[in-house]
Amino acid sequence: MVKKLTALSLAIFMVVVLAACGSNGTTGKNGSTDNANSGAKAESTDSAASEKIVIKYWYAFGDKIEEAKLHMVKGFNESQDKIEVIAEHQGGYDDLHAKVQAAFAAGDAPAVSDLEIASTGVFARSGMLQELTVYAERDKDQLQLEDFNPGLMGNAYVDDKLFGLPFMRSTPILYKNVTMLKDAGLDPEGPKTWDELEQYSRVLKEKGKIGMTVPADIWFYEALVAQSGGQMLSEDGKSAAFNTPEGVAPVEFWKKLSSEGLIKIPVGDEAGATADKDWANQMSAFKFASTAGVTGSLEIAKGNGFELVTAFMPSNVSYGVPTGGCQLVMTSKSTEEEKEAAWEFIKWMTSKENTIYQHKHVGYLPTRLSAVESEELKTHFAENPQFKVAVDQLEYARPRPMENAYPEVTKIVKEAIEKAILDPKTAPQDALNAAAEKANKLLSK
Amino acid sequence: MTVWEKLRPYGMVAPAIIIFSLFFIYPIFYMIYLSMFDWNFVSPTKTFVGLQNFKDLLTEPDFRQVLTNTTIYTVLTVTLTTGIALLLALWLNRKSFFHGFVQGAIFSPHIISLVSISLLWSWLMDPEYGLLNWVIGLAGFGKLEWLSHPSTSLISLVMVAVWKGLGYNALVFIAGLQSIPADIYEAASLDRSKPWTTFTKLILPMLSPTIFFLVIINMIGSFQVFETIAIMTQGGPVNSTNTLVYYIYEYGFRFFKIGYASAAGVILLFIVGILTMIYFKLLSNRVHYR
Repeated sequence: MVKKLTALSLAIFMVVVLAACGSNGTTGKNGSTDNANSGAKAESTDSAASEKIVIKYWYAFGDKIEEAKLHMVKGFNESQDKIEVIAEHQGGYDDLHAKVQAAFAAGDAPAVSDLEIASTGVFARSGMLQELTVYAERDKDQLQLEDFNPGLMGNAYVDDKLFGLPFMRSTPILYKNVTMLKDAGLDPEGPKTWDELEQYSRVLKEKGKIGMTVPADIWFYEALVAQSGGQMLSEDGKSAAFNTPEGVAPVEFWKKLSSEGLIKIPVGDEAGATADKDWANQMSAFKFASTAGVTGSLEIAKGNGFELVTAFMPSNVSYGVPTGGCQLVMTSKSTEEEKEAAWEFIKWMTSKENTIYQHKHVGYLPTRLSAVESEELKTHFAENPQFKVAVDQLEYARPRPMENAYPEVTKIVKEAIEKAILDPKTAPQDALNAAAEKANKLLSK
Repeated sequence: MTVWEKLRPYGMVAPAIIIFSLFFIYPIFYMIYLSMFDWNFVSPTKTFVGLQNFKDLLTEPDFRQVLTNTTIYTVLTVTLTTGIALLLALWLNRKSFFHGFVQGAIFSPHIISLVSISLLWSWLMDPEYGLLNWVIGLAGFGKLEWLSHPSTSLISLVMVAVWKGLGYNALVFIAGLQSIPADIYEAASLDRSKPWTTFTKLILPMLSPTIFFLVIINMIGSFQVFETIAIMTQGGPVNSTNTLVYYIYEYGFRFFKIGYASAAGVILLFIVGILTMIYFKLLSNRVHYR
């Protein structure tokens, strides 16, 4: 039996191998005769094809965001016949970053990539990114660098050198289920402050609902620290600043509200999804979320029959939010030719027309001042005021920290917040002090 | 003897050796080399730091928690999987349509991709909308937080691992049971041995090579758990489900500290190496009945 099987598998193996050799042989022959016969004609098409530069563009996220990105890439490829951009989906930001890094080490990085803004520092300082200053200077009439919203340029520069152009940029905003507020007899204009948010939540709790479901997300925490007038890191970025009273206030606030059952703070990997579901199912009246979700949330509100209004995130001592999202960057190991092609592509993707398009399709910020001023968006804002909030809120926006150790610091801070909220015995101040001590070790290096 | 005849055996094994060296031996040595540097994988400067990475690792409270998590996870997964699988095997070790069906049913998770399983269980364990809490609610108990609270998150992951591993383990046990010669049972029944005595004095000793094999294989597998954690918890909440391999991934590919991650990798290699050595050592001289 065993012998038979071996013989059989050997036979199959040989057939496969022979077949493979055979087919290779024939195509090889055909190929060579073709070349010999068609002569000059084949040569000319060959050279035309090799003139067309092919570059890769890696991007993050699916759904509406992907639709918009692919639509713009298609537009670019059709707009000219010199450059062909191949767009490849790489998952979320973390996956994308890991893959770009690995591909760069292997010498096979994409010419252009999305890059989450807080990671610009690490990528630029390790030499993975091409500095764009020279390109921007050369094409300044066409590029109009000063037309980009200044509130979004903070993460474009690393050590005063330009490394990225704002692409799909966002801020967190407050999404309100106004129908629910009206039913509870609350003023649909609010809540504008933390205190009002607490009052609203109390009323909603009496009606059997909760104020909001909010994951202990580092981005929202950054916002609440800004609203309290604090900073995540010191000015020089060498030490933590989140264990000051301004940094502790948000955790105290969250802990107090969640312990009284006024808001819910889910933790774990599904926390963000839970917050969205609670809001969509009208269990909670508010959610914090990126402006990238405006179009999607409007569809949900329409489908579930409630009215959605967006607003600034409530203030503590002032309004304040971090910006977020991604910019387009160029990797440094490509050839000069590919870099020129990449630059053309980046200019196209960040143009006024395209920033208007992606804003309307997804909800990300229009990155250019001229876009905000345009008739097209003015009409759009008048019809859909939900889109305008994030643009106005940019006045209170600030860049995200870009220190090399920041990604690791965010993990430490997030753990501290979760611990303080989940464990009744842990005081927010103590948890953040311990986190700051760890963070300082990393930042001072 | 011609030169060719001398070289032929080497030529024959060369492909295997080359592939093995390229994909197993070289990476191991490269990892050990990298564990002594401070590097982010791409920057042109690599700084030699000697054993500093190991020193940092062993003094880092988070890493100690990661080791504890991994150990707890391993011990629980291994004892529960082998224990329950043994009981199932004793029950399933007979021929009938029903028993065959049950055996097939519990084996099916083994052939499903771990990624699908993780997604499935994330939904089942959702504290608000999950099926598990709904069932518990029907039975009149309060909600469990499952993956969302440090006190239950690790045990939830153990549950998934046991569910996934049960079928395979039971199958191996059944094979082991069937290889016990029938005449031994006959002798036992002639001596009027009670079922419990038959189990402890006959079945267990005869099964010991199988038990031993499964314990070691499960142990090595559990020490390397990654997929469920990457998909279901990402090490959280509050580091409660962070295990060795996920920790290595996190430092290597999210924080870009490849030297530090390699040092953790060396420690993992060390632990798994010791387990494997114990396995071979014991296998060769202790667990033996024929």
